[in-house]
Amino acid sequence: MNCSFTEKISSLIDGELTAAEAREVERHLIGCNDCQQLRADFLSLRTQIAGYETSLQPAVQKRALKKILGTERPVPARRLGWSFGPSAIAFATLVIAAAVIGLLFYQSSKKSEGESQRVAQQTQSPSPVPSGSGEQSRQQPQATPEPGREQPQPSPNKGNDETPRRQPSKKIVREPKPGEQFAVVPAPVQPAETQTIRSADAQTLTAMHFEKSETLLLAFRNVRLNEPGAAKEVGYERKRAQQLVLQNMMLRREADAGGDVQISSLLESLEPILIDIANLPDRPDENAVRVIRQRVERKNIVPLLRVNSTALARALD
Amino acid sequence: MASEDAEFTMLFQDFYPSLCRFLECLLGGRAPLAQDLAQESFLQLHRTAWGTMPVGEARFWLYRVARNMAINEFRKSHTRYRLFDRVVEVMSPRARNPEQEYETQERKTLVLEMLQTLPEDQRTALLLREQEQLSYREIGQVLNVSESKVKVDIFRARASLRERWNKVSGLSRYAGVGNS
Repeated sequence: MNCSFTEKISSLIDGELTAAEAREVERHLIGCNDCQQLRADFLSLRTQIAGYETSLQPAVQKRALKKILGTERPVPARRLGWSFGPSAIAFATLVIAAAVIGLLFYQSSKKSEGESQRVAQQTQSPSPVPSGSGEQSRQQPQATPEPGREQPQPSPNKGNDETPRRQPSKKIVREPKPGEQFAVVPAPVQPAETQTIRSADAQTLTAMHFEKSETLLLAFRNVRLNEPGAAKEVGYERKRAQQLVLQNMMLRREADAGGDVQISSLLESLEPILIDIANLPDRPDENAVRVIRQRVERKNIVPLLRVNSTALARALD
Repeated sequence: MASEDAEFTMLFQDFYPSLCRFLECLLGGRAPLAQDLAQESFLQLHRTAWGTMPVGEARFWLYRVARNMAINEFRKSHTRYRLFDRVVEVMSPRARNPEQEYETQERKTLVLEMLQTLPEDQRTALLLREQEQLSYREIGQVLNVSESKVKVDIFRARASLRERWNKVSGLSRYAGVGNS
């Protein structure tokens, strides 16, 4: 049957045509026997389908209703999305308050620790120091160590050994060269006594950082400068290195503070490489890239990163 | 709470049988399963959605949930309930005279077999139209599809059924009923 009205006949019997369309189809029906037959068949089908009787028994229906109404109803969610009750809000407030108090307590304890160290230093300063004068021992750390000049030595005074003296960290910050975004920040020297167990969070972050750095170094090793799109690829690696440098600095300081020598030294050897990649120009010459790659190879840093990230991940498990 | 329950009971009495029928046709005549799913749909409505929507919407919600449950059942197994359904059918009480019963059963079987040849979306759309008298817009709402898709699906379902019906038994046998 090829009449163009067939689909409209289906809509006509469903009452889904506009008045004008319905009139048009009705007019067509008068002269088209096929469409008349089609409508009759569709209506016949409707009768068969609508006349289908369910085998539902009234007892079953009654039982079902009883069961449904007998089921306990939970409080229905009145709206979509998160709905916090008053207890949840109270709990969240409590958690936030505890966090704030904890932070304040931590800061104040840090401050008091610093104060006590300062007091200890001040009480030590008048005592005679064999390696130099009292004035020399009170000297602030210098920006650059002068060659030939004697560095302040730890006091051999046994009486003050109960409170470990912390040497003021020497921050020798090199100014970034023109075109560089980062300068090398060497690690502050920490005494061995301050070794503590590093938090699981820091370990997780370090493991993730090692993984990311490993991926970056592998990708950087595989960049082919002669191929088209190399500049874009280097640009991407540079951006990733810039992100990782900051994280590396943070983690290294934390590892130093926690006395984790192994992690600290690995981060320390990774940092200049990341800085070099981060400071690469938009179109780096092959030589600069080769130098960085050679340094990565020489320091054997990729396997070290892999081993340490695996070890950290295992320790966390 | 009591008024809510009364309202729910009214909705249940109005729509539980038709939901059972719809599911029965959708599932190829598996009446016990259809009744279970209809009950489960109402239970879900009562437990989670009752009171959160206008009563008029609840009907569409029920058909939507019931249809999804039926689709899940299609995926699970086509044969698991078949034997059990046959047993229930045989054991169920028969009030009418055997001749009338035979004719009704024959027609039911024919309708179900024909419906089972249709794709699921066409079958659902046609059942909602012919049995529940929902408009195309309402069917679209239940099935979450456009009105034009509903229109096309229903037309295709009818055309396909008509063709098969003519092939199998000759539609003229039943044509007189529809033309009246």
